[in-house]
Amino acid sequence: MKPLGAIALAAILATGTGAWGADAPGKPMKMDEPMHGEMKKKGMKKGDVKKAAEKKGRGVRPEMKKEPAGDSRK
Amino acid sequence: MRKRTMETSLAGHSPKLIRSIERRLFLKQGLSLGALALLSGCELTDDEGVQRLLMGMSRWNDRAQGWLFNPNKLAPEFPESAITRPFPFNAYYSEDEVTLVDGKDYKLELDGLIREKKPWTLSELYGLPQTSQITRHICVEGWSAIGKWSGVRFSDFLARVGADTTAKYVGFECADDYSTSIDMATALHPQTLLTFRFADQILPPKYGFPMKLRMPTKLGFKNPKHIMSMFVTNEYPGGYWEDQGYNWFSGS
Repeated sequence: MKPLGAIALAAILATGTGAWGADAPGKPMKMDEPMHGEMKKKGMKKGDVKKAAEKKGRGVRPEMKKEPAGDSRK
Repeated sequence: MRKRTMETSLAGHSPKLIRSIERRLFLKQGLSLGALALLSGCELTDDEGVQRLLMGMSRWNDRAQGWLFNPNKLAPEFPESAITRPFPFNAYYSEDEVTLVDGKDYKLELDGLIREKKPWTLSELYGLPQTSQITRHICVEGWSAIGKWSGVRFSDFLARVGADTTAKYVGFECADDYSTSIDMATALHPQTLLTFRFADQILPPKYGFPMKLRMPTKLGFKNPKHIMSMFVTNEYPGGYWEDQGYNWFSGS
């Protein structure tokens, strides 16, 4: 009975640890996996958002530099 | 028995009535053809011309929503008893992949048409006058939930940093690479809050630590989480989902 009990306890602990690990935030994002949620289109991957951000950063930021800085009324 | 055709059924009626019916048929068939063309457009997602047409219609829709938006009309607020528990998590990634931002090193970056571009630490932001709201978050996916958010009124923050509030847009960049932008009228709406707390606790990572812009007048995807930088501009900045074809204004 004792070895069986130890195995059962180990299994419970392992499952518990696994569940805790799954809920803990901050795991690296798997960029090549399909996106979550209902908004995605077919074939969209999590990494697409990073690629779009890099592309947008190159486009929006230089445009903004051309604008006058701040509120001139104050 | 004689078969009734258009000609026979209209026999004996005045030419004016016949012209009217013909005109109606022409319009009906024209509309059907247009609708069919757009429906086929939905399938042909790679067709650049169709995409441009649909984007143009969506931008027109944005302008119409902007005209209709009443900057003084408040979204409904609710009692504490109406709060949805647990409040749903939603993102383009799973809950265990939520971005963790280090609050100690955090600084909110400001850019564009803003006079005081000094970055803001969390303690400086927490020191600003705060207010709370219990409002309904409405998701484009078809669900909604009521939550309590607390933070600084965004119009106060914009005034404090000397933002040009005559500019058209405020854009946001987030730690999870997400981006979005809003119209200035919504930015100045009294219920638009730069929030640091959810349910009276510091925003947990899954709800957008260190800050989330909360707008009960807009759909959920317009409410950015994990904001790292914001900018004021007159150049249309779009956003992640908006660039994929979701309506930019997206009022709720």
